[in-house]
Amino acid sequence: MGGVGRVVLEILNKDEALRYMGYRDTPADEKVRAVMDECEHQLIAVIKPCFVYHVFEIKPSDNGMAVCGTSLELKGKSISEHLAGCTKCVLMAATLSAQADRLIRRYEATDMTRAVMTDFLASATVEQVCDAAEEQFDAELKGYYRTWRFSPGYGDLSLDIQGSFLEVLQAPKRIGLNVTQNNIMTPRKSVTAIIGLSEHEISKGRQGCSICNMKDVCQFRKRGEHCGI
Amino acid sequence: MGFRELLKNKEFVILDGAMGTMLQAKGLKMGETPEAMNLEKPEWLIDIHTQYVNAGSDVIYANTFGANRLKLAKCGYPVDKVIGEGIKLARKATEGHNTLVALDIGPIGHMLEPTGTLTFEEAYDIYKEMIIAGKDADVVVFETMTDLYELKAAILAAKENSELPIMCTMTFEENMRTFTGVDISAMCITAEGLGVDALGVNCSLGPKELYPVVEKICRWTTLPVVVKPNAGLPDPVTNEYNCSAEEFAELAEALIPLGIKVIGGCCGTDPKYISELKRMLADKKYVKRDVHIPAVCCSAVETVVIDQPRIIGERINPTGKKRFKQALLEGDIDYILGQAIEQIHAGADILDVNVGLPAIDEKAMMVKAVKALQGVVDTPLQLDSTIPEVMEAALRVYNGKPIVNSVNAEEKSLNTILPLVKKYGAAVVGLTLDENGIPKTADERFKLAKKILDRAMAIGIRKEDVYIDCLTLTASAEQENVMQTVNAVRRVKEELGLRTVLGVSNISFGLPSREIVNHNFLMMCLTSGLDLPIMNPNIDSMTATVRAYKLLTNIDKNSVDFIAHYGSEDGAPAKKAEKRSDIDLPYAIENGLKGEGAELTAKLLETTDAMVIINEMLVPALDKAGEQFEKGKIFLPQLIQTAGVAQACFEVIKQKMLSEGGDSVSKGKIILATVKGDIHDIGKNIVKVLLENYGYDVIDLGKDVDYQTVVDAAIENDVKLVGLSALMTTTLVSMEETIKLLRANNVDCKIMVGGAVVTPDYAEQIGADFYSKDAKQSVDIARQVFGN
Repeated sequence: MGGVGRVVLEILNKDEALRYMGYRDTPADEKVRAVMDECEHQLIAVIKPCFVYHVFEIKPSDNGMAVCGTSLELKGKSISEHLAGCTKCVLMAATLSAQADRLIRRYEATDMTRAVMTDFLASATVEQVCDAAEEQFDAELKGYYRTWRFSPGYGDLSLDIQGSFLEVLQAPKRIGLNVTQNNIMTPRKSVTAIIGLSEHEISKGRQGCSICNMKDVCQFRKRGEHCGI
Repeated sequence: MGFRELLKNKEFVILDGAMGTMLQAKGLKMGETPEAMNLEKPEWLIDIHTQYVNAGSDVIYANTFGANRLKLAKCGYPVDKVIGEGIKLARKATEGHNTLVALDIGPIGHMLEPTGTLTFEEAYDIYKEMIIAGKDADVVVFETMTDLYELKAAILAAKENSELPIMCTMTFEENMRTFTGVDISAMCITAEGLGVDALGVNCSLGPKELYPVVEKICRWTTLPVVVKPNAGLPDPVTNEYNCSAEEFAELAEALIPLGIKVIGGCCGTDPKYISELKRMLADKKYVKRDVHIPAVCCSAVETVVIDQPRIIGERINPTGKKRFKQALLEGDIDYILGQAIEQIHAGADILDVNVGLPAIDEKAMMVKAVKALQGVVDTPLQLDSTIPEVMEAALRVYNGKPIVNSVNAEEKSLNTILPLVKKYGAAVVGLTLDENGIPKTADERFKLAKKILDRAMAIGIRKEDVYIDCLTLTASAEQENVMQTVNAVRRVKEELGLRTVLGVSNISFGLPSREIVNHNFLMMCLTSGLDLPIMNPNIDSMTATVRAYKLLTNIDKNSVDFIAHYGSEDGAPAKKAEKRSDIDLPYAIENGLKGEGAELTAKLLETTDAMVIINEMLVPALDKAGEQFEKGKIFLPQLIQTAGVAQACFEVIKQKMLSEGGDSVSKGKIILATVKGDIHDIGKNIVKVLLENYGYDVIDLGKDVDYQTVVDAAIENDVKLVGLSALMTTTLVSMEETIKLLRANNVDCKIMVGGAVVTPDYAEQIGADFYSKDAKQSVDIARQVFGN
């Protein structure tokens, strides 16, 4: 099971983007919202969101989890715990396309306010694309309980696998998503994620900051908040 | 028979089918390096190739698609060995047949700048290595490309390091563009201009879905067209492609009337598909296309056909502009980008780019400017330099088909510039002057135009790619000759059938009310056949003249464009009246009123000293915003908005000081850089805006900056504060290395670091002097370091 899909978004999650920017107790005023509306309009006009996914059988290996039929091994404690009790997993990758990068670059040359707001909005939008993607392949996963989306870089799952992860999904060819030699995904507004599939119910307790390697530097945590993952 | 003869003599050339899926069927795991099998499982390759040869392929692709040094690093095999073996195995399978072997080359797998970190020059180098390793092939194939820039690096690498024919195919999606946004027409005219032998499309879709893509390719190239589709679309559940070999051949048959020449299969196809293609093609005839490619230039994403007047924006040029000269001296690329975007908004279709200034390295600046411009604007560029080396450097890195400005009828110019135009597939502006200067009469200028055209065509430049500039002389000095220019334009257009280009603004030099003279002269020229006015599009009477001309000549059908621009003119003045007259500068800054802020600053400068405005108005207003930001009363967008107004105010002050030849307002020089490997530079850019608005000179080294570049810049500019940014855990180490190198070179500067993953502890550990948690704090640090 697997495939490529496109996502058409008519409304972007502006509230989430504003939240990323710090507007929580103090709501954004009208002027900020008006600019955000324009950013939304522009971003929707240029991006071509798409995703690729594939369902694999998994089995425990010496260092973590082996993805069957591939050369990929998901190493570490965090991912092993995340996938505990799962017999399969979905590997997925989603991107807003290089057009998002280009729009932000253009704003950076002319209007930093819009550049920053579009950057945050694009970050929120990738999550929306992942949600939409999950909805699109929802029917194929009937009969399975699912974990939340765990990404390389979370916990002790190294970003080093990013390249092989994308190769396995043929993401460069199928959705135009690549990595740099430092494991940064390009186009930048992109996500890779692993969703565990289990025939038995999965405990909610698997989520939380304790396993996250961002926990010491996370801006949300510093404010006593949660990023929402 | 070689590949070129094959194209000439056979009705159709049949390629092979998929390699990846065939290897997987033999046991290759997903994620493994397929090219490693050339060494590990040679028998697999011989078998696969043999099947395709037997199925009827005229050309088979060696298993070398991803055999570049970056991808092979994973398995540790050297490029020359993997490619050499790959070609040998394919060759072995063709024994006893006439089948040719292609060196197959795909994308490097890392995106080029500015979205990625790979430079154009590195890409060239990587491809060069592959080309040399594959010298024993019969043809070089570049396929599955999505970035025209990467394809250009590849084609140049092949052209400059091999004599082999070249075939290239890009991967277009249903929206008729590649993932990076490359337009079909842009790919066709750029690749044909660079001199490939055949071009087309592969992968992404099946033969049915590719029909409109192939149809458009066939309209935009005179070269043989290549189609290598997938076996339809993959089924989401089974992942199997939905087209059988018979259906595939049947759907491919529908492409024949479009005029395709070369055909094969991509993902999901196997030898059966090739046999079916061969069977289907057996009684078919190649349909010759009658294509005429118009006068055209393009970027990777936008094609501009010169079938009506198109405005070339002239503002990216330091001549007579103090502010622009200063930007060049400071390496301020953002200023140039700002000029570009302003002109595009005003109506420019093409942008002239001239960065010639005696005090700077024009070649380096030209390359930098072209790269930066094509990273943010879609508009095609006209490359403008008098130095051939600068021109070649610009042509090399330009992504698309540019216009060269210019060649003239002097022997030296014809001999140096035209070969460059030909090699890089550009269009060229020909100035009607020679060793004897500018001829007085229309007749003589016409003769020079003819000479330039003949010489261009003699080395294979298309007639459509020669644009003639009949040269404007100033009316105040040579009033009697104005009509000579106008008449020359008419004759070049009518008798030679060439596109014409003209810088119009010079006409009014030395006269009062220049605008009146300019737009009337512009209209005279347009009426006489001017296609490409080089002008300032920001002056509305000029742009309006072009729009009115297009309306009156029925080019702008139903006046759509004209109404879009001037339809609401009546309501426009009312907007200005709304402006409050009682606001002051601090109010404008706090409320994000950019235009008002700039106007108020200009007014204040008439009576107040610049430093007083900065220290008593701008800085306190910024401080107030900073304080509110720290307290969580306002957030990043508002803080930056405030900074944006201050920036506009500073710009006014800077202009004024430059025009008076006064001192700069700098409070100190600061280097900012996003460290090597990291491409997240928005945070650094926010810090930059804020620091600049407090009066600091920021030397912005950009993103993915080499350690040594930071050190060199710090020493060269005697900088006392260096700011480093990193946003990824994987690039923190670069931050540490940069600091180490600064210290090792005994650079006398303080270092501040920041970015999402940096912590105060880490900052201390790697030897930074300061940790900056946000943009506001970086200002505090600067104040502390510079004591102001």
